[in-house]
Amino acid sequence: MPRETNPKIISNGRRYMGNMAVAGVLYSAAVFGGAFAIRNEALPQWAAILAALAPLLPALLMLRAYAIFLNGIDEFQRRIQTDAMLIAAGVVGFGSFAYGFLEEWAGFPHLPLIWVFPALIGIWGLAACVLRLRYK
Amino acid sequence: MRNRLKVLRAERNWSQADLADKLDVSRQSVNAIETGKYDPSLPLAFKIAAVFSLPIEQIFSADEVAQAAE
Repeated sequence: MPRETNPKIISNGRRYMGNMAVAGVLYSAAVFGGAFAIRNEALPQWAAILAALAPLLPALLMLRAYAIFLNGIDEFQRRIQTDAMLIAAGVVGFGSFAYGFLEEWAGFPHLPLIWVFPALIGIWGLAACVLRLRYK
Repeated sequence: MRNRLKVLRAERNWSQADLADKLDVSRQSVNAIETGKYDPSLPLAFKIAAVFSLPIEQIFSADEVAQAAE
């Protein structure tokens, strides 16, 4: 099967990868910086809150990169992306809901909320790959 | 919905990539429309009709209409 040739689609994909790479580097720096900062026991509460929320800014940059990417693709590709996002929201939403009951009533081990967003992104990516294969 | 995209494209010796460039969409989108896996929006259907210089109904038809004509 031939590869994509439309220059607009190709440059949109490249811009997305570039924006995500920049946001990814900033995210890593914020996580490592924050983890290093909170090891200081004398850190005041407000600084700990700042350190904890710092990774959110590059994460929002990733969201911005994705929004720009979505605006640059055609309607069929956007359909794949939105279908994948719906699948991810459904799986993670109902999965975390079910696990919440299991935690409360069946003594399952506590899982931190920090895993919800990565799970959403991971399942979205997987669903997008499966949907793309389905339409090949 | 059925369409004659593949036939019309072949008549003009256009590849899927050529048609994708003319429509400003991805080649994968042209493939999905051609194989009937994706029905284009009305604006894209009009754009396809304009590229082939044909009325929409000569390119796309509802499944029931196509079956009745066969």
